[in-house]
Amino acid sequence: MTAATNMIAARRRSTEFRLVLMAGLITAGAYTLASLGQNSVIPPRILPFLAALLLVLMSAHIGVRWLAHGADSTLLPVATLLNGIGYVMIARLSERLAGLQTTWTFVGVAAFIGVLFVIQRVNDLARYKWTFFFMSAGLLLLPMLPGIGFSSGGARIWVSVGPINFQPGEFAKIALALFFAGYLADNRELIAAGTWKVGRFYLPEPRHLLPLLAAWGFSVVVMVGQKDLGSSLLFFTLFIVMVWVATEKTSFLVIGLGLFVAGATAAYFMFDHVQTRVAIWLDPWSRYQGKGYQVAQAMYALGSGGVSGTGLGLGDPTRIPEAKNDFIFAAIGEELGLFGATAILIAFLLMIGAGLRTAMRTTRPFEKLLAVGLTTILGIQAFIIIGGVIRVVPLTGITLPFVSYGGSSLVSNYVLLALLIRVSDSSARRLGEIPDAATFGERFAARLAQRRIKKHPEELEALS
Amino acid sequence: MNQRIRRFAVVLIVLYVILFAQLNFIQVGKKSTLDADARNTRQTVRDFNDARGDIRTSDGVVMATSIRNMADSEFDWQRTYPEGDLYSATTGYFTFGYGATQIEKVQNDVLAGRTIEQQIKGFRSLFNGQDTTGTVETTIDSDIQQAAKDALGNREGSVVVIEPATGAVKAMWSWPTYDTNLVAVQDSKLAGDILNYLDDIPGKPLLANAYQERYMPGSTFKVITTAAALDDGLITKESTWAEENEFLPPQTVDPIQNYGNKVCGGDLPEVFRRSCNTPFARTAIELGPEKMVAAAKRFGIGETIPFDLPRATSSQFGDVDYFTQNLPLLGIGGFGQGNTQMVPLHMAMVAASIAHGGVMMKPYVIGATYDHDGGVLQRTVPTVWKTPMTPATSSLLTELMVGVVNEGTAKCCMRLANGIQAAAKTGTAQLNAAGEPERSHAWIIAFAPAEAPQYAVVVMLKGTTAEISEGTGGTLAGPVAKKVLDVALAQ
Repeated sequence: MTAATNMIAARRRSTEFRLVLMAGLITAGAYTLASLGQNSVIPPRILPFLAALLLVLMSAHIGVRWLAHGADSTLLPVATLLNGIGYVMIARLSERLAGLQTTWTFVGVAAFIGVLFVIQRVNDLARYKWTFFFMSAGLLLLPMLPGIGFSSGGARIWVSVGPINFQPGEFAKIALALFFAGYLADNRELIAAGTWKVGRFYLPEPRHLLPLLAAWGFSVVVMVGQKDLGSSLLFFTLFIVMVWVATEKTSFLVIGLGLFVAGATAAYFMFDHVQTRVAIWLDPWSRYQGKGYQVAQAMYALGSGGVSGTGLGLGDPTRIPEAKNDFIFAAIGEELGLFGATAILIAFLLMIGAGLRTAMRTTRPFEKLLAVGLTTILGIQAFIIIGGVIRVVPLTGITLPFVSYGGSSLVSNYVLLALLIRVSDSSARRLGEIPDAATFGERFAARLAQRRIKKHPEELEALS
Repeated sequence: MNQRIRRFAVVLIVLYVILFAQLNFIQVGKKSTLDADARNTRQTVRDFNDARGDIRTSDGVVMATSIRNMADSEFDWQRTYPEGDLYSATTGYFTFGYGATQIEKVQNDVLAGRTIEQQIKGFRSLFNGQDTTGTVETTIDSDIQQAAKDALGNREGSVVVIEPATGAVKAMWSWPTYDTNLVAVQDSKLAGDILNYLDDIPGKPLLANAYQERYMPGSTFKVITTAAALDDGLITKESTWAEENEFLPPQTVDPIQNYGNKVCGGDLPEVFRRSCNTPFARTAIELGPEKMVAAAKRFGIGETIPFDLPRATSSQFGDVDYFTQNLPLLGIGGFGQGNTQMVPLHMAMVAASIAHGGVMMKPYVIGATYDHDGGVLQRTVPTVWKTPMTPATSSLLTELMVGVVNEGTAKCCMRLANGIQAAAKTGTAQLNAAGEPERSHAWIIAFAPAEAPQYAVVVMLKGTTAEISEGTGGTLAGPVAKKVLDVALAQ
């Protein structure tokens, strides 16, 4: 039986290996083409690039093979593909940033392997839900602390500690998903039951709802205090989706949507910058000389790309302000066209699919909710920023996961990916697809226990 | 919970399908609208910012080149024309947002390195980063061009020098012209304003009057009438015309007069070198509309000149029906007046065909194009355009034109340096009607050395000033042709 079940996992890993290699091949090809298009030369640093690419891909793959043998086979390849295409675009936009992004990729993959190594029993994390609650609260409020927090581009979401600048919000969203998953796994039935009668309605008891409302309050704080509309929207969506999935009560969805509409309307009338965002969304051209310039340029870029794109290195994405960051999707749409942009959409859909499949396969509520939460972050964040760039929704500055430039974003997304892969691996163990062997930590604890029993056999007898 | 997760998956799929639909709407549906938006400068910037090869003269002088901009500039490259206005009628301009003209336009692919040959050959450059832009070598000779510019000075008109045996244009100068650098600027709006200004002012500096405009040729046209009549056998060298000051053609009571109403006549060499009008009016009418129009066609009149620069125009004479009903106009047309209009370049080609045994070559200014390695992409092979006269007629015409230089209307001004014999025909095209102030274009067509011609030249001075209108082709255009030929033949 062991041999047969191991074969499923082995096949997954060899599929992953081939897909990761393919992602590497596409990245290397795109990197070469971008340099050819831009400067008509094979990139001068092609060999170090290939070496670094291979190192990143293989260490991530070997990390999964070693630490999460039974996990889903598509999550890592798709993430590395997005990372690779994003890197090529960033390198094409700015050589200096490409160097930094290389560092962030290494740190991200190290964090990925680190999380897989440290967190081997994902269900254990449920015990720390309050830690995650306060962690997410602390991380969210950090940028508002005088002295270390600072604003950039209108949003106060940065923290500067010594030489390192980072966006704690990128990590707060993961902590928040962990808290929601832990809390809802424990209390979902109580919340769903609704024992508190108010008039004709049965509502959950306030003490069960309070932590959730507190979490929801964060998103308001983030919006008001930090002017970070994108993150606020993301937190709010995360909150509603997780409560809805956990309680299976449509009423929560309705209440959530009601709160959203109320909040959005209030924000529209209270804040100038929200009104500006909406006005730009509706007509960027009337504000071409001002704040509509970026969106208008993104439109020109996408139009100039057309169906098949200008070709890598042959477009003019430097005309779009912040093309490396929030607007990287417009740069991709310009140089890779509708085909390339659609490929990015499909890549995110594949990750969403793999994430939700993971959620459905696992039987433990905490793992289920965590997988849903992490997938929501990934899928909704990508939707918010892509939709903002192509004017499906008003633009709210936020990074495109794995693709945009930025250390905090890349590292936090690799942490998110590691957690998702860990959940996937965990369900594979429980389904018997791989032997549920003891982890390093468990083996270590067992050895300590054995030694203790040898020394003090009387303790064991006392127990029995 | 799985049912909710499934529903959530559907919601996300719907959201992404909306993204996909909007992408299609922007990248396919609105593409042309977005591309055409005036504020969208992507395509024009891309073109303007491309590396671009040189345009050179045949003796290696750079006519147009691209230099790297400072690092902080919006553009990597700046197109410059080191000689200012000297070659603008040949190179044309290359602007940001207003397209290109002349060689910058027709050789755009070569200059930008975009021809298929260049791309195939440039494949190796992928590994060493070499630029793959091509070079265009013109047939223009920088010394002759400079001589033409200097000799014409600030008078409106044009000078064209051609190699009779090949049709290669060695110099082509038009005044007024403009400094190409003025419009090759990074500020698109400024470029547009300057182009509009240049388009509006008198003299039309943007038009190269050497090949994009036509003018009444005056007596220079007599070489065509003479060639037609000699080839027909209507006249010979020995033909004579009575001394007279005017001639009354059929269908009119208004006689045709000689220049200055002088009494003029004699044998062919004499009436040709003195440039009497009445013998050529009589000859044209005697030949008749059909033969005169056929002769004009043999010279390519009425056809767009097959030049390798864009928007060349055509010379005009008239059609058979028109002349049959207006025989006096055929007579006047016989000496280049009335509705006859010649492009200066075309008159140079007429002179060149006489110099080249009666064969008219296609004029060209693009000698060869080269890839970045110096390999030849294309070299212009001289080709025959027309054969307007027999070799015998051409040698007799040469003799007649030598007479013009030695004893005729060009005697004053066409004695070339080092005793080199030139052949020429002058023209003074009367623009004013009787009773109006004098207004005339001054022309000369010439070639030298007469016995083995190397260069044919046309000089045309537009009758826009009193100085030009009071002079004649011989006294005004002659000295310009002499200076240019002297410089050309000194090489």
